[in-house]
Amino acid sequence: MSKVLLDVRNLKLYFRTRSGPVQAVDNVSFQLEEGKTLAVVGESGCGKTSLTKAILRLLPRNVETYEGEIIFEGEDIMKYNEDKFRKEIRWSKIAMVPQASMNSLNPVLRIEDQLMEPLLLHDRTMTKKKALDRVKEVFNIVGLPTDFLRRYPFELSGGMRQRATIAMALAANPKLVVLDEPSSALDLLTQANLMNVLKRIKQEYKTTFILITHDIGTASELADEIAVMYAGEMVEYSSAEYFYTDAHHPYSRKLMASVPTLREDKELQFIPGQPPSLINPPSGCRYAARCEKRFEKCSEHPCTVELEHGAKVQCWLYDETGEVKHA
Amino acid sequence: MPNVAKQLQQQPGQGEPVIRVEDLHTWFEIRRMGFFKAGDVRALDGVSFELYQGETISIVGESGCGKSTLAKTILGIHHPTKGKIFFQGKDLSTLDKAGWKNYRASVGYIQQDPYGALPPFMTVKRILEEPMKINGITDKKEQARRIRQVLEEVKLAPIEDFLPKFPHMLSGGQQQRLVIARAMILGPKLLIADEPVSMLDASVRVEILQLLQGLQRRHNLGIIYITHDLSTVRYFSERIFSMYGAKIIEKSSTQALLKEPLHPYTRALFEATSDPDVENLRTFKEVPTGEPPSLMNPPKGCRFHPRCSKKIKGLCDVEIPPEFQVDDEHSVACWLYKDGK
Repeated sequence: MSKVLLDVRNLKLYFRTRSGPVQAVDNVSFQLEEGKTLAVVGESGCGKTSLTKAILRLLPRNVETYEGEIIFEGEDIMKYNEDKFRKEIRWSKIAMVPQASMNSLNPVLRIEDQLMEPLLLHDRTMTKKKALDRVKEVFNIVGLPTDFLRRYPFELSGGMRQRATIAMALAANPKLVVLDEPSSALDLLTQANLMNVLKRIKQEYKTTFILITHDIGTASELADEIAVMYAGEMVEYSSAEYFYTDAHHPYSRKLMASVPTLREDKELQFIPGQPPSLINPPSGCRYAARCEKRFEKCSEHPCTVELEHGAKVQCWLYDETGEVKHA
Repeated sequence: MPNVAKQLQQQPGQGEPVIRVEDLHTWFEIRRMGFFKAGDVRALDGVSFELYQGETISIVGESGCGKSTLAKTILGIHHPTKGKIFFQGKDLSTLDKAGWKNYRASVGYIQQDPYGALPPFMTVKRILEEPMKINGITDKKEQARRIRQVLEEVKLAPIEDFLPKFPHMLSGGQQQRLVIARAMILGPKLLIADEPVSMLDASVRVEILQLLQGLQRRHNLGIIYITHDLSTVRYFSERIFSMYGAKIIEKSSTQALLKEPLHPYTRALFEATSDPDVENLRTFKEVPTGEPPSLMNPPKGCRFHPRCSKKIKGLCDVEIPPEFQVDDEHSVACWLYKDGK
């Protein structure tokens, strides 16, 4: 077993609103080993993006509760003050490619200036020339010609801009890169090309990724581990190997059954109903109202159970020993 | 899911097609300094097909390939530069004002982004009344009856709860149902669905597609389903057209195409689609690099040839491939198939 890079324990992120606190991330715990990729999947509004924001501490003003432990390379980075966090962690060790980031490049700056900026800011000893060399290097890694560095963002296509933002995240040589829906706004072929690039980076440079996506098909391109989020909670955490053949949580199963497949003819199912409001979520299992397998016990909040091959499930169907009780 | 595609077995060539498109071109003029003509964007460049009652055609392709222009030209939002559209045998270019109104009432349009397609200041009731008012259904009782009927069909129940709501109070799936209800309220013969599920969550997607399928069966509708997602078409359509660079490059029955896509571009689309499978982790996809062609100045010959790995020098880059009929169900515009398969 390789080294654990990121260990998140009981992470909570609540937002303050007029009608009460929104429990966007509620008691999320997981461990991610170095060099592995974790894909976080779930429907919109389940807290995927909030989770990444909580890890990178990119918080809006209306935060009500922000607590738990985030142990990164053995140190609890939640204890760092903002200044230390900004200097030592954000972008230099944990970088991010935010959602729709290809449209977030500054239109009046050349690509090279934008890519060099984080390098120059994070390392005072860095010269412009060295920074440019590094930027050229990462441009090669993501498969873009280096003469494009002199261009402005509007001179690049969507797929190229997306690669440029990934290059920007990789520039400072971070340990962990968080990708928030990196390919969902791109065309199919561009998306497949991008996934090839990410896969190559993963194999050659052993970068650890957290991939946020709603597309379970795309997630399988990159993921070693899959985490399923539902209504702010992580209901299942499992290795991709097991997840794609045999998901455990009733929600994960339904989610898998709702994905149309190209190569195999299967009966599609949908999940009736809607996720609960995160302002006042049910005290028991949050999925119970939509679950076909619910029973009396589901009105209490389920604990997380570890199954034999390391999968963690938050569901009453499985007891402490990992046995299936009510399947 | 009961596969309607199999049950209906609509034979192409039976009866009058709902819509027939002949050599359709839609070009947009580009002007320099507002005066001099600088060229045309050939958004649609010679498209022909017909659609029969009770049949669904899927049109797949990437953005900028002309799928939405095709939809909008059929809807009459854009005027064709060349070519003809026949609706139930009648040439659209010969229609007068009343004829157009009548035509528009018999074609329903389902937009991609449901929230953008619904006026935010109107209640559900008003949104559904609007098309009826425009088309002369003024009787309050008849209006109420139709609203009840369509809302029941799209399963927005209990109806009374939804009528006074505004679009922002509905979830994404409910909004899309409302868009479908609005498209259905005048009893159309043809539905054009432009990426109806691409903005929705996976768990809701299937529900909406099943709903559309149910409507098709009950009302014997013709549906043109526009999508970039190949994996949904298998559950939904009888025929698939694949578009690239403003042209239809492959026409096939769904079964035949899914068994063996012929055009190198359709193959690439096929290859690029990821099914949830852990094997994906270990393999790289073979997809063509590069970008779709500029439609202002498209490449000579086959428009896919600059990206194609199988191009024949001296043929693909010179002459535009015609449509080759490979078998009864499958035709493809690619020089590789000039002598059959």
